[in-house]
Amino acid sequence: MNTWWLSNQILIQSTFISLLLALSIQVPLRAGVFSFAGVGSYAIGAYTAAILTIRYQVPGIVAIGAGVLLAAVVGYLLALLVARLAGLYLGMATISFALLLGVLATNGGDLTGGATGLYGAISTVTTEHVIAVAVVVMVLLAASERGAFGRKVDAVREDPQLAVSLGVNVIGVRRMVFVVSGALGACAGGMNSLLRTTVSPETVGFHLVVTALTMIIIGGALSWAGAAIGAVIFTWLPSLLHTVGEWQLLVYGLLVAFAAVYVPNGLLGLLQTGWRRLQRRGRRIPAEGAAAGTSVTAAQDPEQELAALGGPTGEARP
Amino acid sequence: MTTTQDRGASAAPAAGTTVLETVDVAVHYGGIKAVDGIDMKLETGRILGILGPNGSGKSTLLGAITRLVPLTRGRVLLDGEDYGRTPPSKLAHRGIARTFQTVRLLPDLPVLGNIQLGADLRLNRATRWRELVRRSVPESVTEAIERTGVGDVLDLLPGELSYGTARRVEIARALASRPRVLMLDEPTAGMNQPERLEVADLLRKLRDEGLTQLLVEHDVQMMVDTCDRLLAMNQGKHVAEGAPADVVRDPAVQEAYLGKRWNRAADQ
Repeated sequence: MNTWWLSNQILIQSTFISLLLALSIQVPLRAGVFSFAGVGSYAIGAYTAAILTIRYQVPGIVAIGAGVLLAAVVGYLLALLVARLAGLYLGMATISFALLLGVLATNGGDLTGGATGLYGAISTVTTEHVIAVAVVVMVLLAASERGAFGRKVDAVREDPQLAVSLGVNVIGVRRMVFVVSGALGACAGGMNSLLRTTVSPETVGFHLVVTALTMIIIGGALSWAGAAIGAVIFTWLPSLLHTVGEWQLLVYGLLVAFAAVYVPNGLLGLLQTGWRRLQRRGRRIPAEGAAAGTSVTAAQDPEQELAALGGPTGEARP
Repeated sequence: MTTTQDRGASAAPAAGTTVLETVDVAVHYGGIKAVDGIDMKLETGRILGILGPNGSGKSTLLGAITRLVPLTRGRVLLDGEDYGRTPPSKLAHRGIARTFQTVRLLPDLPVLGNIQLGADLRLNRATRWRELVRRSVPESVTEAIERTGVGDVLDLLPGELSYGTARRVEIARALASRPRVLMLDEPTAGMNQPERLEVADLLRKLRDEGLTQLLVEHDVQMMVDTCDRLLAMNQGKHVAEGAPADVVRDPAVQEAYLGKRWNRAADQ
């Protein structure tokens, strides 16, 4: 265990950092907000942490915290700016926000180190810190998916007008989601800079949008657990896939296409459906009409049933 | 916050005082006058029905009253106070609950969760946290479930319900907020006759307990049986108003919508 831990430090770190980044996009999606601003916040966090530690010798935790705060504020302002946008247009606007920050980083002169970036962001941040932060975030998000708050967010996503009529401040929830997304993205970016001791425009580029989105689509967009599944798969998959060499990207592409078409709710969605059906089968006997109904659906749809019980899970982990 | 909650939950002024009022309300979409100059008074402890053929502007009027549709002209008053600039989400906190013309339940949430959504705005911080630890359901939710008779389907998802049951779940969700004004947009659409009678019965019972209601329907028999007062609309305009039997007999109403045969319904 210990040797495994030591030899896989980098992968373990990236798993949790990717998870936080993926969550910064999953959180808005859960509220029906199609925003990639989390990737822009990743850049904000990454550069803020690096600049503060290199130039002002600020302790790592403080530097990351400053980035998180800054990105949360920027997230709030961005929410005001794009308040009238939704769907694809909101997605485009927030992608351009992320790209804009990349351009700023490249042209930031001495402050950002230009195209070469910044080096020597030495800090005391360790893998354990990253895991601790990720665990706290996961627990909080898991709580936010339950109870009254979870229902509120569900309502905002599924039917904003209904949510309003039920007394939910939809605009407030949307703004909050931008703030949380900003904080999560910046946290991921800040920790990444300090663990790698370096940041450059390349590390905060467009590929992060693709990575994060891929994790969410494969894992499942409607829960933190989906992002976690996605983060684990896509951090460890490359090391498993190195045998296929340059075909790696093709395998990625096929996986995403397959998931988008056949498993729209991600692996988590599959597990949940499967679990639900298993539960049902155990419980339902009484009301004759209802019981007959379930058994008919099950009988009509054996393929999906099998899939739900783990068929494609195997395919997704070649 | 507390004051609005108190007002919403318990205050039951003498029946007959005006709680909600519209003055010359109009909603125009370009050249289309969906609602055009409607004056309406909703009195406490009564059921006011809004009657009219399809496309007569009933639902738009309901949208305007609940602030989901912007007003082109006119004023909306709650307790005599203009709320035309109040954010629509605040209205629920002031005791107004509504259902929609189509079934609008959250598809991934079991029936119980959907009903709880109605009561969530009344939860305080402590109850919210408690619910995370153990499943606690507010009393208003159990009561709403009992009243609408949906206790058997609480674990099902909305997609697994019959249409009539789904509509009852929506009424339960609205009741769970313990509103003082309940607005129902065609609550019995898609229900069979026994189910309709059950709903009409429930609405009357709620009325007798003091719940003020605004009912939008085009099932004339149900309107005559259920409402204390009717307001008839056609093409966005006010056509007639008064006791249900009189409104249904009004020649202008009959011409707009009913046909002579409904005379009989009014006589019963």
